[in-house]
Amino acid sequence: MSTAKLSNLANYDLRQFTVKYGFIVVTVVLFLWFALTEPSFRMESTLFSMLKFTSVVAITGLGVTMTMVVGGLDLSVGSIAGLSVTLSAMTMVIYAQTGAVALIVVLLGGALVGLFNAFLIVVLKIPDLLATLATMFTIMGLKLVPVDGQSVSSGLILRDGSVAPGKFTPGFLLIDRAYIGPVPLPVAIFFGLAFFVWFFLTRTRWGRVMYAIGSNPEAARLAGVRVKRYRALAYIMSGVFASIGGLILSSRIGQGDISAGNSLLLDAVAVSLVGTSVLGMARPNAWGTILGAVLIGIVITGLTIKGFPYYAQDVVKGLVLLTALIFSFTLSRRKTKFVPAV
Amino acid sequence: MRRSKNTALAGISVVAALLLAACSQGGSDTTAPAADEGTVTDTTAAKPAPFDAGLVKIAIVQNSGAGDYFQQWTNGAKQQAEAIGFDVQIYDAQADNAKQATDMETAIGSGVAGIIVDHGQKDTMCPLIKQATDAGIPVVVYDVAISDCAPDAVQTQQSDASLAQAVLEQMAKDLGKDQKVGYVNVLGIAPLDRRHVVWEEIVKANNWTQSFFVGKFTNAVATDNAQLVDAALKANPDVTGIFAPYDELTKGTVSAIEQNNLQGSIKAYGIDISNADIEIMTKEGSPWAATAGTDPNAIGAAVVRNMALELAGQLGVKSVDFPGVLITAAFLKENAIKNMVDLRAALPSLNLAEVSAADWIPAVKF
Repeated sequence: MSTAKLSNLANYDLRQFTVKYGFIVVTVVLFLWFALTEPSFRMESTLFSMLKFTSVVAITGLGVTMTMVVGGLDLSVGSIAGLSVTLSAMTMVIYAQTGAVALIVVLLGGALVGLFNAFLIVVLKIPDLLATLATMFTIMGLKLVPVDGQSVSSGLILRDGSVAPGKFTPGFLLIDRAYIGPVPLPVAIFFGLAFFVWFFLTRTRWGRVMYAIGSNPEAARLAGVRVKRYRALAYIMSGVFASIGGLILSSRIGQGDISAGNSLLLDAVAVSLVGTSVLGMARPNAWGTILGAVLIGIVITGLTIKGFPYYAQDVVKGLVLLTALIFSFTLSRRKTKFVPAV
Repeated sequence: MRRSKNTALAGISVVAALLLAACSQGGSDTTAPAADEGTVTDTTAAKPAPFDAGLVKIAIVQNSGAGDYFQQWTNGAKQQAEAIGFDVQIYDAQADNAKQATDMETAIGSGVAGIIVDHGQKDTMCPLIKQATDAGIPVVVYDVAISDCAPDAVQTQQSDASLAQAVLEQMAKDLGKDQKVGYVNVLGIAPLDRRHVVWEEIVKANNWTQSFFVGKFTNAVATDNAQLVDAALKANPDVTGIFAPYDELTKGTVSAIEQNNLQGSIKAYGIDISNADIEIMTKEGSPWAATAGTDPNAIGAAVVRNMALELAGQLGVKSVDFPGVLITAAFLKENAIKNMVDLRAALPSLNLAEVSAADWIPAVKF
């Protein structure tokens, strides 16, 4: 937002307005600009493919948001999503199990890694960022061990020379490819989870306690809150959300791609940070994260259709994040509190 | 005190994570040569529909890895597209398969007249390619095996069997029978799978012992595979030849051989050719003995010509093969070849200007 533009909005606390609605205004303006200038952007299929593209980042970002609420940050989400892709492929292709089994294995895997993070942070008292950074590396390497560093696809030749017996089941592939009416299933999952996180964080006692822990863990502890349990819960949920993102990725790719999830960490953390500033709440929140993800989806899709080269996308993502941080830290009057300080 | 220390720690780890992520994005070669300028041939016939009515919008949905192969491919495709009268939208997933899937969906939804899919995983792209052809959008695919699940798409490829055959016959001639050999490949990628078939035949025919088989596909293939081959060579320093059938894999192999100072006893054999490859092959004492290639510029251009023919309803086939040529380090040195321009002059068979041509298409020659 330029200062010239701001001065037009007289009789209002401009700074407050910018902080609160700036992002939404930018999103709407960009959306209208793309929609008016690019006929193909207006198509329903483009909008849904954009939301679909956003869903993995948004769902993973919701998990990151949970950890930010309790004053932490989960850097292992990208690697958990990658682990999920490999786990699901192994379950179906190598062990020839059904898609449902793969789904359960993946969710359990995500929860276990979350639990491991929680153990490092809560029991071993390692700072959140460092603990999850270590987890990130461990998982990225660990997932390659059982598959010998190879991508898992049907017809894979196993270590003993035999051919892998299974394949991605049609049911599992539906996770990314099915539709509910005109709405792609991953988009529906994404909105469902967003609603769940919003409800959990703002409408339940547990959610409010989590915010309390995030803003002052000592006060929360003195008030009788079992801080450790809540922080552990946040990391487990983050792990599960990342593994749901991984399920969608896996279904989209249709094979155990070992590089999947590599780019997810930055995107997921970025949308959570953008989300923190979106409504001027200066705190991590579900709808903010969703808006952040959708904004980045709109910008990326729009710029791609406009013919901007792919490498411009990272620049734009960076600028969006930077703008969000300025809104949160520089312009906001509320004391922004979401950087982990253990 | 405690707080500021922790904040510093937090800062360091965020920076570390960001740096890591940044590294994984690139690993790109900064020495990439300037794009090759092609010359455009004259046409002798008027353009048919839909090219007679202004620019035709198409999309290229690619999944590039590191290295100048993809840069050259895209360069050739772009120049040919411009010459024909295409308005090209390029989506590049850069080794992110999930992104390629969403790119393809965006391309299908964007109302283009045709889509070119360049590289990618069969399992990921096949259903989407079928979705496009079912929606009446012609698709020309390069190097993704799709014929069984999307029969309406046009499949193009460099003839991997001919490439592998050419270089492996040279390898067999150089090494002889009953040798210990190493193998660097990533299965599950169509062209590499096709090369793998030829490799197995040649290994059997020459009674070679495959001492190791390593390889992985990342977005920094050469660097990452150098580490793998390095480890394999520590365990098996007695191999006499290594086949790494993709030039980024070969580059990694070459640097691992050199790291272990084994260039006197081990020869490397690759597939693909580029300016950077020529430089490595002709370097004094380079273990890279031979490669087989096509000119990626010429391939990119030929794929675009196939799209033009398909849109004009003149292609008539669903599969097009681009033949490969054997290139030995000895040949490069004898002819003092320093780059692709020299090589094209010395080996005119690399130029595909006669392939997939038509009298109304201005072909780009490199």
